[in-house]
Amino acid sequence: MTTATAVLNAHGLTKAFNGTTVLHGLDLQVRDGEFISVMGPSGSGKSTLLYTISGMDTLTSGSVRFAGQELATLSQKELARLRLTTMGFIFQHVHLLKNLSLLDNVVLPAYLAGLAPREELNERAMALMERTGVADLADRDVTQASGGQLQRIGICRALINQPTILLGDEPTGALDSTAAAEIMDLLGQLNAEGTTIMLVTHDPKVAAHTTRVLYMLDGHIVGDRGQGPFTGVGIEQRHGDLSAWLLEQERGRERSTAVERAAGVTTQGGGR
Amino acid sequence: MRLLSHPAPVEPADDGSLVPATSGPVSAGSGAPRRLRRAGGFAMYRRMVVHDFARNRAVTSVLVLLMMLSVVLATASAGTLVRLIGASGSLMDRADAPHVAQLHAGGFDEQVVDRWVAGRPEVAHHQAMLLLGIDGANLFFDGEPQTTSIQQNSLVVPNVERDLLLDLDDQPVLEVAPGTIWPPVFHQVESGLDVGDTVTITASNGFVKDLTIAGFVRDSIMNPGITSSKRLAVSPVDLEEVRAHTGAVEHLISFWLDDPATQTAGFKKDYLDAGMPQAGQLVDSASFQMLTMIGDGMGAAVVILVSMLLLVVGLLCLRFSFLTAAEQDYRELGVLKAIGVAPRDVRRIYLTKYALLAAVATVLGLAGGLALTPVLTRNITRYMGSTSSLWNGVIPVVTALLVFVVLVLFTLVLLRRFRKISAVAALRSGSTSQQRRGARLRLSRSKMPVQLRLGTMDVLGRWPVYLLLFFVFAIATFIMIVPINTATTATAPGFIHYMGTAPVDLRIDLLHADGTSPAQFDRIVEELEADPAVVSIAPMVTTRNDTIDRDGNAASLYVENGDHTALPLTYADGRAPTDGTEIALSLLALHQSGAEVGGTLPVTVAGEERALTIVGSYQDITNGGTTSKASLPTDSDEVMWYMAGVVLAPGVDPAEAAQEYGDQFAPAKVAVIEQWRTQTLGPIADQITTTAIVAAVTAAALAMLMTALFTRMLLARDAGQIAIQRAIGADDQGLRRQYLTRILLVLVLGVAVGTLAANTIGQTLFNHMFEVMFGGFEMLGQGTSRIDFAVNPWLAYLALPAALLAAVTAATVAGSRSITAADIASLTTE
Repeated sequence: MTTATAVLNAHGLTKAFNGTTVLHGLDLQVRDGEFISVMGPSGSGKSTLLYTISGMDTLTSGSVRFAGQELATLSQKELARLRLTTMGFIFQHVHLLKNLSLLDNVVLPAYLAGLAPREELNERAMALMERTGVADLADRDVTQASGGQLQRIGICRALINQPTILLGDEPTGALDSTAAAEIMDLLGQLNAEGTTIMLVTHDPKVAAHTTRVLYMLDGHIVGDRGQGPFTGVGIEQRHGDLSAWLLEQERGRERSTAVERAAGVTTQGGGR
Repeated sequence: MRLLSHPAPVEPADDGSLVPATSGPVSAGSGAPRRLRRAGGFAMYRRMVVHDFARNRAVTSVLVLLMMLSVVLATASAGTLVRLIGASGSLMDRADAPHVAQLHAGGFDEQVVDRWVAGRPEVAHHQAMLLLGIDGANLFFDGEPQTTSIQQNSLVVPNVERDLLLDLDDQPVLEVAPGTIWPPVFHQVESGLDVGDTVTITASNGFVKDLTIAGFVRDSIMNPGITSSKRLAVSPVDLEEVRAHTGAVEHLISFWLDDPATQTAGFKKDYLDAGMPQAGQLVDSASFQMLTMIGDGMGAAVVILVSMLLLVVGLLCLRFSFLTAAEQDYRELGVLKAIGVAPRDVRRIYLTKYALLAAVATVLGLAGGLALTPVLTRNITRYMGSTSSLWNGVIPVVTALLVFVVLVLFTLVLLRRFRKISAVAALRSGSTSQQRRGARLRLSRSKMPVQLRLGTMDVLGRWPVYLLLFFVFAIATFIMIVPINTATTATAPGFIHYMGTAPVDLRIDLLHADGTSPAQFDRIVEELEADPAVVSIAPMVTTRNDTIDRDGNAASLYVENGDHTALPLTYADGRAPTDGTEIALSLLALHQSGAEVGGTLPVTVAGEERALTIVGSYQDITNGGTTSKASLPTDSDEVMWYMAGVVLAPGVDPAEAAQEYGDQFAPAKVAVIEQWRTQTLGPIADQITTTAIVAAVTAAALAMLMTALFTRMLLARDAGQIAIQRAIGADDQGLRRQYLTRILLVLVLGVAVGTLAANTIGQTLFNHMFEVMFGGFEMLGQGTSRIDFAVNPWLAYLALPAALLAAVTAATVAGSRSITAADIASLTTE
């Protein structure tokens, strides 16, 4: 790993809530162009990791350097600006603003950033929506599109400011399998074009589309698997291999839990 | 309200009611005794209510405060009205006030009156009281001359049987010690006199008499300031001593009737027709009460209006709070429905919460209202004493209970929407919010700053959400502007138009005392016409003439005769009369005649009936509101008094001229018109101004309170949407700008509507108030008051809205501090 191509560098990342430590001194490097999925059981700290490295949540201790800036030194306004101009976020439930049309939802971050004239931003938004197959929904509101369509809108919104990294929290969690597959194909295309992507997911089928899988357990990254780029074929094989690896990680967890019980040690977990 | 987060698990009982489980899983119909289940249910409600209060402390506190304020004002104004009506009637009873009283300048033959009364079986009693009128130039209160006062102060020996003067303990003053004097409480309040101060009477021959104030009296028929005569009680010895040197003799001839309600009007007419002594005003007990109620009644009316508006705001706020809570609990309500909890139990939870809050507000508000009532009735107590009546306590309690019932009923109406909740929809969506298709503005087509545009779009797209705030701002503006406009109108120099007087500099009044009075008045007019300091003079002679009222009964009419075109006043309809065939009537007189402008009025002039053409109508709040203007012959016995309006040359000082003419034309009273206006209206104008200031402050405080409350509730409702915006990179200052835009846009709309309402509805209400005050409730809506607001545009359209803007902005900024609490982490999936 060379820091020359690192988009994000986290070192000793620790996060605690009300006395409970959720992230235990993580080290993480995300390289430019990677397509990473973060997996693990509920409470392992996956989403907490996502929110702390994006600056949405504050660190308890440690360091996160993103796009050359140390997040802990930035004010709330500066963090917001950083998120606006260098990160794109995709949520499980999309989280669009209900009183805006779908096009307005896409252009909102761009207008807030103000990096280009509005006409140009509108054109960029329409181009993204064309690319993702939802251009005809521009004038509709959030109740007039399917879950898959809304998630595509969410991806357009995340991409409008041409971010350095795309972050996703279970982006296919609320979709049926067909829609989920379409979304993953789209993300795969974006990654192939050079977009760095990091997702949190429970679904091995989703993770099978990515190039690197991190396995988290009780606030630690206990597994890191590179699996090469997905070329569009052989998803079942990749899924199978990944599932086997995940099973190994699970068994490893069970063994260490049993050992700890035998030794009378209680493990503290629970996070977001 | 977290319905499912209480400690004890909940499950439906076999009758569908919601009960807490006992230890371990308990199946429905477990056989636990009903009273235990009921007791358990009560404990659960209490837990839920307490928990919800702890979670929404600020919002709940403000809601209770608002409801409490409404109850405070409602009970205080109800208590004030009860006391006012009670005290006024009680004073008249305690003092045994006459039913009809005639002020007569000069002496009269008592036997003539006695003989006439002997033939009047309805007269239960009559008496005459001597009043020795002391000219202001010869009267000093604690060293201050009363030259400029419009009050006619008269020395009297108190009656011992009827028409009693009462001390401040409501005991009759039957005897006054020599060397002392008992002025009316009016002078204690307005002139600042106190027991032990000295009243000095002088005369042009060097006579000086000092009298020490031993106490103050309540005068049932001459109490208020708008009555320009005042009685000061002295001993017989002192009165005779003063009379030997100075003073104008008047008599108050008083009558008590068996059935005043039905006999007064006829008695008055017969008295005047019989040629009884009538060199002065003839008034009755209805007039006494009306004059008494004007000042304090107006204050109470404004407080009632404000309390009703506050109640409306309180109900709107309750609705908004309820809807917000329902929105937040929507998913849990769905769960409860899904597991079979009876809808009535769900409603019971909310009803318990809001009924409890309303009960707390009612109890606290009642206590506050009872404490505030003495403050509001201080004036009433001073002038009329206090009456301990059961109604003083009952009416405020009933009022408070009524407000409580309104609040609870309103909650029940709101609870009907729970019937429409679909368990499935609630579980799926977790939100009640229906997508509103309001104005379809587009962010993508806008050039405005993003946050301003988003704020505007939200207000226009979700306008029902902002209704509460809109009404609050409109009502606050209304509450600010109407009393202020009332005050500026009553204190405007131009208000004399509504007092039956043209704009002049001085006003000279002379009573028709005897046969020398016409010559005296002619001399005054001659000298003024020759005076280079006088530009013009409008001499008027007021006569009493007979006419027919709308019911066909004989009635009396005071007619001011002269050249009304020389110094015309403003007419509501038509114009001034120009010759002896025309007449103009005050709005109230017009109504009482049953005629219209353009019609005719039968008037007896020098014994002959004439059909005078009604050419105009005008507002007049003096002389009970019923006056008229004409150019009739005045050389008969019907003359009542003389008046001259004087316009001075530029550069002449009105006060100096008034002083000079007062000396020159004594016993005529000369007043600077502004002084006459302020002294006539004085106490009323002061009260209105104080009320206006209190109303403005109340309105601003209300707007601030509601803005802070609304902002907090709105942010709570919008927490999810705010979190999304923060997640995608909107900063907190920008989000505050967005919310400030929303609030200020609603403010602008609310102020615009409130201002329009104030200048239309407000003016109408103002006139209705005058109609009732001068004509009783039967005059309400009859058009007998047509006063236009004298608006101070700088105050009403600039200063007040600016004050409101500043208050609301501050409240929004304070209320939006919680914007940072919109938790981005709430968007996570785990």
